Amino acid sequence: MPKIRLCLLVAFALFFINSNANAQRSAIDTYAITNARIVTVSGPVIERGTVVVRNGLIAAAGANVSAPPDARVIDGTGLTVYPGLIDSYTNLALPEAAPSPSPGGAPPRPAAPGPNSTQPPGLQPEVMVEDVIRPGGNEIEASRNTGITTALTSARTGIWMGQSALINLTGDTPQQMIVRSPIAMHVSFTPLRTGGYPGSLLGVFAALRQMMRDAQRYRDSMQIYERAPRGMRRPDTDRSLAALVPVIEGRMPVVMLANSEREISRALDLAEEFKLRLVIAGGREADRVADRLAKQKVPVLLSLNLPKRTTAAIPEADPEPLRVLRERVEAQQTAGKLAKAGVRFAFQSGSLTNMSDLLANASRTIENGLSQTDALRAFTIWPAEILGVQNQLGSIEAGKIANLTVVRGDLFDRNGRVTHVFIDGRPFEIKPPQESKQ
Amino acid sequence: MRRFIAKLLFVAIIATLPLSSVRAQKQTAPETLIRNATVLTVTRGTLQNTDVLLRNGKIAAVGKNLNASANTRIIDGTGKYVMPGIIDCHSHSMLDTINEGTLSVTSMVRTADVLNTTDVDLYRELAGGVTTLNLLHGSANPIGGLNTVVKIKYGRAANEFLFPGAMPGIKFALGENVKRSSTPNQPGVTRRYPNTRMGVEETIRDAFTRARDYKRTWDEYRAASKNDKSLIPPRRDLQLEPLVEILEGKRYVHAHSYIASEILMLINVADEFGFKIKTFQHALEGYKVAKEIAAHGAGASIFADSWAYKIEAYDAIPYNAAIMTRAGVVVSMNSDSDERARRLNIEAAKAMHWGDLTEEQALKLITLNPAIQLGIQERVGSIEVGKDADIAIWNGHPFSVYSRVDTTFIDGDVYFDRAQDLARRPELAKERAALEQAEPNRPRPKGESPQTPRRRPSGHEDDDIEVEKP
Repeated sequence: MPKIRLCLLVAFALFFINSNANAQRSAIDTYAITNARIVTVSGPVIERGTVVVRNGLIAAAGANVSAPPDARVIDGTGLTVYPGLIDSYTNLALPEAAPSPSPGGAPPRPAAPGPNSTQPPGLQPEVMVEDVIRPGGNEIEASRNTGITTALTSARTGIWMGQSALINLTGDTPQQMIVRSPIAMHVSFTPLRTGGYPGSLLGVFAALRQMMRDAQRYRDSMQIYERAPRGMRRPDTDRSLAALVPVIEGRMPVVMLANSEREISRALDLAEEFKLRLVIAGGREADRVADRLAKQKVPVLLSLNLPKRTTAAIPEADPEPLRVLRERVEAQQTAGKLAKAGVRFAFQSGSLTNMSDLLANASRTIENGLSQTDALRAFTIWPAEILGVQNQLGSIEAGKIANLTVVRGDLFDRNGRVTHVFIDGRPFEIKPPQESKQ
Repeated sequence: MRRFIAKLLFVAIIATLPLSSVRAQKQTAPETLIRNATVLTVTRGTLQNTDVLLRNGKIAAVGKNLNASANTRIIDGTGKYVMPGIIDCHSHSMLDTINEGTLSVTSMVRTADVLNTTDVDLYRELAGGVTTLNLLHGSANPIGGLNTVVKIKYGRAANEFLFPGAMPGIKFALGENVKRSSTPNQPGVTRRYPNTRMGVEETIRDAFTRARDYKRTWDEYRAASKNDKSLIPPRRDLQLEPLVEILEGKRYVHAHSYIASEILMLINVADEFGFKIKTFQHALEGYKVAKEIAAHGAGASIFADSWAYKIEAYDAIPYNAAIMTRAGVVVSMNSDSDERARRLNIEAAKAMHWGDLTEEQALKLITLNPAIQLGIQERVGSIEVGKDADIAIWNGHPFSVYSRVDTTFIDGDVYFDRAQDLARRPELAKERAALEQAEPNRPRPKGESPQTPRRRPSGHEDDDIEVEKP
C-alpha cells in the first residue's frame, strides 16, 4: 500500500513538473488557506477559518480547523475564499470557429458530414464536444484569471448543436478536464448557412419538429423489433435519431439559446409540445416570461454579456428606437427580477470579448435589484444544481471537488481582486491584470 | 458616493415611469356605447344617428336610443362613422421571417412559429382601422408554409393573437417568383427546381401525388394495426400532412398568382385531385378568367390599381375588382405590405371610382369578403348583433382621404386611440430623455458610426420574395 502511494506521489510530481507554466511546480497535494474569510454558500459565512485541500478534494473547512502538518500553508489574512465560480455556458477548449462565408459569394460547400451521419452538419445531435475539446489556450487562462474554475462548454454552431460537457479549467488531457459528459443537448434557432434546408427560422422549427417525430418513431420501431426480431425486417440504425431518444424521453435536458421574449416563448412552446426538459440559455428578456418559467420549472443560463451601445454619437444619425434604449437598461434588471419570481438561474459569460467585464457586469445586476447572496449562488450552487453536479461542485463542503476562488476583498466589489484559484486541488496564482485603458 | 446617488436617482426615475408606457395603450371596459353615429353595417346598409353597444367582447345591440348601464363607457359618435374592423387577407406583418425558400415544397413550415408581437407595423395598422390579418408565407416556392389568421391584439401574448376558429390555410405560389425569374444565374450554383411554369405545375402535382399515397399508407396501417399490434407505424411526414388536410377539405389554399393561364392551370390540378382553391392572391389577370374562378368557387384577393411592376403584371387593370365581383367572385382588397395595410380603406374606395361598385360592394372588399375567404364570416366582417366587437370609429367617411381613425376596438377592448396616443407623447419623450442618460445607452467615444436606417420596400413591391425583416 505505501508503495502504491509512493508511486502516486511520483506520478503527481511528474504531472506537475510537466504541467502548465502558470501552475506552481510542486508535488504537494495538500494545502491550507488559514485566517481567511470563508463563504461556503452551503452554510453560514465563516469570518475567520481554514480551508484544507487534499488530493483534489476539500478535506475540511471551518473556524476550528487547523492546517495539517504536511500542508503548504497560504496565509489568508485579508482574503475571502469562495467556491470556484462556474461559467454555465461557454465555447471554451473548442477548436476555432470556421470563417464565415463572404456575403454575396457562392454558398460554401457543405463540410464533410460526421462519421456516417444521416444528417447534414448543423443537424447532428450525436456530435459531442467531449470528442473535440483540447486543454490549454489563452481563453481558458483568461477565464481562470477572472476566477472561473469550471465551465459548461458547447459547440458554437448548428441547430442541433450536439451535446455539451462540463470541464474544469485545468488538466493536461481532455479526459482530465471533463467533470461530466454529456450534460445536455444544445439547440439554437439559427438557420443553416449552407444554402440547404432549413435556410430560415421557419424551417428551423419544422426541421426540429420532424426530427423529434422521427426519433419517436425510431425508438418505437426499435422497441417493437427488439421484442421479437425473428420474422421482422430490421429497421435501419440512425445515430442522429438515437441521440435524440434521451431528449424526447426527458432524460437529457435541452439547452435552447433564446434571448428575446419571443424566442424564449417559442422555446417553451416547443418544449411543451414534445415534453422536453428545457433550459434557456441567454435569457436577456427572461423576466418577461418569468411566471411561465417559474411555473414550468425551466432554469435559465443567464448571460452577463449585457447589451450596451457600441456606436459613437453622430449628430445626423436617427435617434435610437425607444425599444432598444429600454432593452439595454432592462437587461441589467433581469437577474433581480428572475430571483424575485423564483426562477432558477445561473450566470454565464455569453461570449464576452473581455472576460474582465464578467464580474463588473455581475455587480451591475446587484445594483439593479439582485442580492449579493443570490449573485454568488448564480455563479456556484445554482449552476451546479441546474447542471446536475451539486454533489461535486458549487459550495465549500468536505468531500466536494477542491475548486476555490480566492479574492482579496469582496468578489463583487470593484476593488476586489482574484488572487488564487484552486481547480481539482491544483493552485493557480493570479497575477494582477494590467490596467485596461477604458 | 455621488455617483452612487446619481445612479439611485436614475433607477428611481426609471421605476416611477408608468408601466403603461412599456405596452401599447389598452382599455378594458365591460361595456361601451357609441352614441348617434353613422353606422356602416356592410350587410344591413348605412344607419344614420344610430347607437352601437359593445358588451363582453361582442356587438350587443345596434339601434336608436340604446340604454346604458352605470359603468358603461359612452363615446359620442356625433359626426363619426362606425365600420367593421378591416380584414387584410394578405399580410406579412409580425413575421420574423417570411420565406423558407430552400425547397420547392415547404408545407411543413408554420408562420405561427415566427410571430413577433412587438412589430410596430401592427400598431400602425390598428391606426388604419385594421383588426384582422391573414399572415402568409412568402412566394418563394410553389407550395409554401402554413398561414396564421390573427386579431391585432397588440401588447398581448402571441397565443392571444390567434383568431379562434379561423380555417387553417396554406400559401401556394405560381409564376415568376417561384421560378426565380429575377434571380441571376450564379456560376457553379444549381438553380432550384422549378425554372418554368411547366415545372411549377409538375411540382404541385407531384406533391399531391405523394400526399395521396401518404394518406393511403396511413389508412392501410390504421386498418391493419387493429389486428396486429406489432406493426411499425409509417413515418409521420410533416410536409405531407397539411396537403392531406387540403385533400380532405380541412385547409384553405391561398395561391399567389398573376396570369390567366396559370390560374386555369391550378384550377385544373385542383379539380384533378379533388380539392378547392380558396383564394387566388393578387390574380392581376383574374378579370380574364372571372367566370372560371367563380365556377370553381374560388375567391380573389387583389390590389386596387398596381400594375406593370414586373412582366407578369403588365396586363393588370384597375377594373379587376368590379369585373370579378360582377362575375360572382368573392373579391377582397389586400395589402401585402405593411405600408399599404394602413390605408386599405382607400384601396377599397378606388373600386367605386374604377368600375362603379356600390359603396356596400366596395366596403365588402375589406370586411365581409376577406372574412369569407378566411372562414371567419360568422365572427367578423359586418356590424351585426352577436358578432365580435371588432370595429373602428372614423372621424369621417372611411372612403374619404381626409378621414382617419379615432378608436379601434377588438373584442370590445380599445387597441388604438388617437387621443390617448397624442396625450402619451410627452411622457414618452421624458422616458427617452431618462433612458438616454443611462450608462448602457451612452455613446462610446471611439465607437463605430450608427447604422443608417434600412430602406422600406415601396408599396407595390408585392412580392414578398427574399424580404427578410431585421
